[in-house]
Amino acid sequence: MKNLYKLKYIFITILTVSLLSSCQTESSFEDELPSIANIAVSNANFSTLEAAAVAGGVAGVLSNSNPNDASGAYTVFAPTNDAFARLGLNENTLGVLQKSFLTNTLLYHVSNGNLAGNTINAGGTSTSALSLDRRFIERGEDTYINGSKILATDVTASNGTVHVIDKVMIASGADIVQTAIALQSANVFTSPELTYLVEAVLYAELAEALTASEGSPSFTVFAPTDQAFIDLGAALGLTFTTPADIRQLPKETVQQVLLNHVIANDGKFTSELNAGTVTALGGDDLTLGAFTNGTLTVTGEGNGGEVANMGIPDVQTTNGIVHVIDRVLLPNL
Amino acid sequence: MTKKMNTLLGLCLLVSSFTIAQSPVNGFMKKSGEGSVVVSYSKENYSKVFLVPNEIDGVPVFNDVSISSISLFGEIGVSDNFNIVLNVPYIKSEGNASDAVLENNGFENVRKGVQDLKVYAKYRLHTLNFENSSLDFIGAAGIETPIGNYSANEGLQSIIAIGNEATTYNAFGIATYKMNSGFFATGQLGYSVRGNDVPNALLSEFKLGYAASKFYVDAFVANQLSDDSGVDILGEGFTGFFPATRVNYTRIGINAFYPFTDSIGITAGTNTYISGRNLGKATGSYGGVVYSF
Repeated sequence: MKNLYKLKYIFITILTVSLLSSCQTESSFEDELPSIANIAVSNANFSTLEAAAVAGGVAGVLSNSNPNDASGAYTVFAPTNDAFARLGLNENTLGVLQKSFLTNTLLYHVSNGNLAGNTINAGGTSTSALSLDRRFIERGEDTYINGSKILATDVTASNGTVHVIDKVMIASGADIVQTAIALQSANVFTSPELTYLVEAVLYAELAEALTASEGSPSFTVFAPTDQAFIDLGAALGLTFTTPADIRQLPKETVQQVLLNHVIANDGKFTSELNAGTVTALGGDDLTLGAFTNGTLTVTGEGNGGEVANMGIPDVQTTNGIVHVIDRVLLPNL
Repeated sequence: MTKKMNTLLGLCLLVSSFTIAQSPVNGFMKKSGEGSVVVSYSKENYSKVFLVPNEIDGVPVFNDVSISSISLFGEIGVSDNFNIVLNVPYIKSEGNASDAVLENNGFENVRKGVQDLKVYAKYRLHTLNFENSSLDFIGAAGIETPIGNYSANEGLQSIIAIGNEATTYNAFGIATYKMNSGFFATGQLGYSVRGNDVPNALLSEFKLGYAASKFYVDAFVANQLSDDSGVDILGEGFTGFFPATRVNYTRIGINAFYPFTDSIGITAGTNTYISGRNLGKATGSYGGVVYSF
């Protein structure tokens, strides 16, 4: 009888142990910090960033400690879904970007070490994982990194820090001419863009002036899309079907028009531009509209008051900042 | 009466064994020469994932995942105290990523195939008979090994992999307490040694049930605790290789069985994960036909 009780206790013990161990406890990890990749995945406002990190092959990188920094940390400036949407990008349209460009663009948002929000100073710079510097700019109450407004700072991750920004930052790592050629050669988008512009620059023999060299100046450049040139052709009663059709116009005219898109002001991001007039290299004024939601309109003297909008603002090149616009800026011809 | 009930119990209690995330072995023995074969269909879905530290809404890349399977399960009594258990599932795992996302990543929405063959030997070590009840101590050991040609090493595509592509060696200690009234309780503890960098795991299950002459029902809680050598998805050490992740879970469910004749019956059940680590928060159900001999 004693043995029987003993066995009953043994049995009860087995059942109790299996019952108790049948409930894994969450408390063991609910206090842990998520990785940067986890923050992107678990936040609905970063779903495009998540998709970009997956497609660009950096989701694994941002899950882990940074092997290139003693602290093991990364700092990531994370564009929201709205930031991607400005460029027409969401998880279903990311395929318009070349993978290498997507990866480089993501790396441009990453830097080594923890960069705390309170150590970000206007006028300072931060070197990205793409080895290119980003600039910090103060405008009113806001702080910008390049043309992107910092919306929130210091989201702490297990492997670094996340700051939230309202625009995707783009850097080509090349000069203005090579940047345009990268777009024209479909090395940025899978479809060519700026093909008319590149053709026009070559035709007008302005390539050398816009190519970076030792001590050469930096510019702000407004770069009209292919559709902008096609629209211009139509307005002039011409039909532009290929970039070479630009050559239907006199070379001097094309030169004058192109010079109306370049400002010799060291290259300015949208965050550094204000409403008013600026003088283009051609000598005519360009009128900038109000700084609204991170962009400005631009109008040439010959545009009859019709404004150009920035489709892709704030592209950083090695000799200036390029803003891609949807209308050719006409001077007084 | 007691004998008849125990036979029914032995017949019925196989039903829990072939559904995903329940123990591959139950706490009951077949008599010598007796056995059963079960063909079942199960389906489970999830759109949330248990990550560390938080549960997330929306499966990365695939949004939501639906897993259906057809399982063939067999158990036979070599002797009253020695049973052999076999199980092999065919699994179809289906994601819901958009065509654009699939194309951009070179992924597909479906992974399917024959998964792992599971073979177990069960031995009843000891039985204690009490006035109105009995207590069995059972030991079980088995191997699970991939027999399909599926892959678990396709990067993030393997979010919807049908298995870990790993051979595992497993052992369980089981105690089953049966009362003549029809109520029973069975508990088990096991350990699983796993290949392909899958962390070893402690497995446990506790089940309470009732078996009358014309029906059977049980409720269970099943648990897995993986070795902390495993990595967390999107955590330190994560390389996109999912088998190496540390998967813990607690799953609860119910199983039922109804015999039409001495040899033919049907079984059904439902179950859900109530907590976990590095796995989908799935809820599923199954139904099957049982042939006993």
